[in-house]
Amino acid sequence: MRARKFGFALSLLLALGMALLNNWQSPAQERQSGALLTGIIYDRQGQPVFNALVSLISAGGNPIEQSNTQQDGRYALEIPNPLPDGLLLSIERAHFHSMELPLQDEVQAELEQGGIVALADLTLVRRVDIGFWIATLIFIAVLILIASNVLHNTLAALLGAALLFLVSYLGAAISERLFIFDFEGALHYVDWNVIFLIMGMMIVIAVVERTGIFQWLAFMAYRISRGRIWLLLLILMIITGVASAFLDNVTTMLLMTPITIEIALSLGINPLALLIPQVFASNVVGISTLVGTPTNILIGSYANISFNDFLINLTPGVLLALVGLMIYSQLVYRKSLQAQTGDGISEILLQKLEERAIITETEHLKKAGWVGLGMLILFVTGENFHLLPSVTALIGATALLVWIRPDIEEMIEAVDWTTLVFFITLFICVGAIQEVGLISFIADGIARLVGENLVLAMLAIIWLGAILSTVIANIPFTAAMLPVIAFLTKGIPGAESKVLFYCLSVGSAMGGNGSLIGASANMVTAGISERAGYSITYAYFLKKGFPALLITVGLASVWLLIRFL
Amino acid sequence: MSEKKPRQILCAVRGGPESRQTVTRAIELALESGARLTFFHAMDAEFLHHATIGPLSVVYNELREMGEFTMMILCDRAERRGVENVDYIVREGNIRKQLMIIAIETKAEVMVLGRPTRSPGSNVFKMENIEEFVTTLAEEGNLKVLLVP
Repeated sequence: MRARKFGFALSLLLALGMALLNNWQSPAQERQSGALLTGIIYDRQGQPVFNALVSLISAGGNPIEQSNTQQDGRYALEIPNPLPDGLLLSIERAHFHSMELPLQDEVQAELEQGGIVALADLTLVRRVDIGFWIATLIFIAVLILIASNVLHNTLAALLGAALLFLVSYLGAAISERLFIFDFEGALHYVDWNVIFLIMGMMIVIAVVERTGIFQWLAFMAYRISRGRIWLLLLILMIITGVASAFLDNVTTMLLMTPITIEIALSLGINPLALLIPQVFASNVVGISTLVGTPTNILIGSYANISFNDFLINLTPGVLLALVGLMIYSQLVYRKSLQAQTGDGISEILLQKLEERAIITETEHLKKAGWVGLGMLILFVTGENFHLLPSVTALIGATALLVWIRPDIEEMIEAVDWTTLVFFITLFICVGAIQEVGLISFIADGIARLVGENLVLAMLAIIWLGAILSTVIANIPFTAAMLPVIAFLTKGIPGAESKVLFYCLSVGSAMGGNGSLIGASANMVTAGISERAGYSITYAYFLKKGFPALLITVGLASVWLLIRFL
Repeated sequence: MSEKKPRQILCAVRGGPESRQTVTRAIELALESGARLTFFHAMDAEFLHHATIGPLSVVYNELREMGEFTMMILCDRAERRGVENVDYIVREGNIRKQLMIIAIETKAEVMVLGRPTRSPGSNVFKMENIEEFVTTLAEEGNLKVLLVP
């Protein structure tokens, strides 16, 4: 009985499968004799227009064939046979003016012969409607919320993304002009390479920071300097800078600040004389590698700039800026570095300081060192076999986890999911202003301003980026500027070396030194310092930081001009 | 009628130059009365909630170490001035709440606090509400609160 039932079910499934297969095949059979009409659609900035609906319309106004453009703006319409006369090609896309054009007789004739006909590239013109203004306002609101610390970065970006969807889905029911993008369209703007690279690096950092290496290094700097505070400052700046080039700046400063304060107090000097130059060094040297700052990760992924490219094209400029910064710091803090206050320090305190500077997990540190070396080799050589940095970071993180077998729950907790959500939702918010055309208008404006002058464009991006980064968060700023830079790169002779992306990297990161709110590393350093009774006020940071910005950005600009002109 | 000498004095400070006067006052008081002097540091890490960072446990540990170090410096200073019974306590959490808790726990008779000279953050004392807080603290902790200018 059971066997019969099974046989019946099987036959039913087979029959259903055959029916589906037949149905699936039938449209293809209809099209067998058809020709192919292809082409590419761009916007006025020469960027391919994705997801535009391209339709072939009959004389009666009925769509005969439809297709959506791909990422590269390409479309392909299969032409049925026989081909009716008086056909129109119609293109529709949200946030663009629709376009209709009749198929010319010669094109029609070619199609009738069954060939593949490539039409000339078409350009869609942007349409500014209510959706444009809503997306723009939401993006500005997110920037303000982040800059003013009214909401956590992640919450601000999440709120922005939620509002965009709310307007797109509910608002579109009222008027189609309120539509910004749908969920699928929004995900198209999320750069998963960035997300996975950050996630992988977070796991590696979580292992490294537990080993006590930072505290040990700082204490070694204290020992090596043997009371010569000017030397201590230089060593601490180098340690902080190098650490920031491979780890994120915030983590570096979170770990370096407490031990630096303790060293300064034990030496009887004002901790700010060490901390401020350290945070400057962190912001400057961080950009020498692809993984040193989130902004570089964004830039590298978007513009396909490799780990080596950053090392070759930015590191010399960064070193130049670091030398300038070291001289500046010695000059600015010369009095503090000489003036030792207090009655000296007791043996108990020295002993406490020494106890702090112990590598707590030697085995983990060794293993992390080997894995780190492997990752470095993969970062450097990976581009030869198309290995994405995110894959290297994931491989490294997994290898480390398998090798040291930490508490996996603890390690998963070590991944800062709020940061990852911040990036995902930020991509959506930036995607919205890209979708509605704000980015194109900005790009147009800058292009008009700089014309085809590469030097002007370089200086404009570096200095605009640097100045704006003192007041707005550099991550959303960089994310928003990427498509603008891509457009300028296409239009300015000589910019194909991707120099403008390096300019963006320099401006957005080194600009962080210009004000207390310019970089997250500044904020956490100030927060920790205040907890030890040493306040870093906005005015104090501005007074020390803005000249540092001018010096470092100036020197990095000189390097970029020498390197790329 | 002379006031009863305290046996336990709490001095709640962060350390740093702005705490200098408060610490000096607490040391003088301890020397005058022969009371035990306890420096108290509340480690408030709420500022980190606005930063996009990784695991907080390591950072909290670092902040605790730093807090302990700054308190040890103060103990060192008090000992050099001749205070015989001196120690410190470092706690994690909101400063106001922790001050209330520590006042009750230690049964201190006197707490020495620094009067704010500015309003540095949302979690610490502000000029306009310090008096109100001191009154509540004195009532709930059953102790005398000295505000050092």
